[in-house]
Amino acid sequence: MNWLTISRISKLGLINFWRNRWLSLASTLVMTLTLLIISLFVVMTIVINKTTDRIKSKMDITVYFKDSAKTEEISDLQQKLASRSDVQEVVYISKEEALKIWQEQQKNQRLKELITSDENPLPRSLAIKSADPENLVNIAEYLTSPDFSSIIHKISYEDNKIIIDKLLAITSFIKKLGWLLSGVFIIISILVILNTIRLAIFTRKSEVEIMRLVGASDRFIRVPFVIEGTLYGVIACFLAVIIMWIGIFVVSPLITQYLGATVAENMKSFFLAHFAAIFFLQLLVGVTVGIGCSMFSIRKYLKV
Amino acid sequence: MIELVRVSKAYSAYNNQITALDNISFKISKGEFVSIVGPSGAGKSTLIKLLICEEKPTSGKILIAGRNIVQLKSAELPYFRRKVGVVFQDFKLLPLKTVYENVAFALEVCEAYPEEIREKVPRILDLVGMIKHKDNLPDELSGGEKQRISIARALVHSPKILIADEPTGNLDPVNAAEIISLLCRINQRGTVVILATHNKIIVDQLKRRVIFLKNGKMVSDVAQGRYVI
Repeated sequence: MNWLTISRISKLGLINFWRNRWLSLASTLVMTLTLLIISLFVVMTIVINKTTDRIKSKMDITVYFKDSAKTEEISDLQQKLASRSDVQEVVYISKEEALKIWQEQQKNQRLKELITSDENPLPRSLAIKSADPENLVNIAEYLTSPDFSSIIHKISYEDNKIIIDKLLAITSFIKKLGWLLSGVFIIISILVILNTIRLAIFTRKSEVEIMRLVGASDRFIRVPFVIEGTLYGVIACFLAVIIMWIGIFVVSPLITQYLGATVAENMKSFFLAHFAAIFFLQLLVGVTVGIGCSMFSIRKYLKV
Repeated sequence: MIELVRVSKAYSAYNNQITALDNISFKISKGEFVSIVGPSGAGKSTLIKLLICEEKPTSGKILIAGRNIVQLKSAELPYFRRKVGVVFQDFKLLPLKTVYENVAFALEVCEAYPEEIREKVPRILDLVGMIKHKDNLPDELSGGEKQRISIARALVHSPKILIADEPTGNLDPVNAAEIISLLCRINQRGTVVILATHNKIIVDQLKRRVIFLKNGKMVSDVAQGRYVI
């Protein structure tokens, strides 16, 4: 195949794409939607993973002490905990520090004033961090032993664990749903594009017939359609990236509002950092589907 | 040049076997002008389809230039078709291309060089008398003119054989006569012309070889024939 044939075939493909612009538009938009949904779920899955990792790393156990507990007993426990291999850090929070944290966290002025340094019901506590959040179970178990029940008022682990487990269950559900929806949309997209290209070929049945008649090789007939299919994929990919770009910057204030600034920042930075990967993944999926559908549809008309 | 040896073609539809061609054998030599005639459904179109390898016979051999075209592989078909020009009743021109482009297209798909196209297309258009219409679209032309373009396209590969399937079917008598005389001129240049028609007047005027088909069978093969019903 020389450059002349290549240029003729490419020209034919481009002209066909333009002449069937409405059909082409339909295929391209369906492809765009598919690519958007796939990449949206990929990005979402990764952001969710990162966020849950962060939540996991923030998980700790806080032990609240009864006011009757002696300071020596607490520092004794602190030392015992610190010597454990699975404990990364044990921080003692005195009543005064607890008050300071409370006042920092409370935005409501009346609530703030409710507790003063003279009358401070906030308990002393130890914040325990582990290198691996999985180890927290063992630490919590150790703390619940009857040796310490006389000084410990409450261990914060159990409540948190329920919430975090629920969160993890939801995220894994969203992930599965994402894969499912991506699959469904790829199938829908393949069917629509297949149909569009078949229609495009059908409307040009006589053209294909004439080409065969005057001795065009199968390749010469097939490749323009393949170029059309490729164009669907390439244009859809660009559209999808642009829409995602706009979407992320429009949606991120909303995400900040509901899920916190870190999630939104995660999403933005992820998108920017992995722009090339996202782009090429979309290009790969788009072009593969486009070319595959073209090859499949034209097959029928090339049989002898 | 062309030889059919016991060629039969049957179509099967819903367990029904329809025999379109039944045991046809004949030879066509170089430079001949052969009319294939017969009423509708006689098998003329089937015979044409077999000759241009659009369909394969159920049995028998079709030898063109010593080669059995029944055994052609699908990859070889385009090269075979470039050696055989075909003209149809419905012209089969591309409506969005000009006259010049329609003819040039036949060369383009065959990987011809631009110089070759620039040289050949005007020459062929001149031969069929359509050079002044080269920038018109097919829809701006009359039926006779369209058929000339279609003939020009069939000839642009300089084929040894020109097959015309009812080329005058859509034309008035005057245009039809002009097309036939064009075919005769092409034949005089040494191209084998195979003309399938059911137009009695044309066949009778031609006074050339006539193969008469009826119900898929060859009824007669006369050297200077007339359309006898």
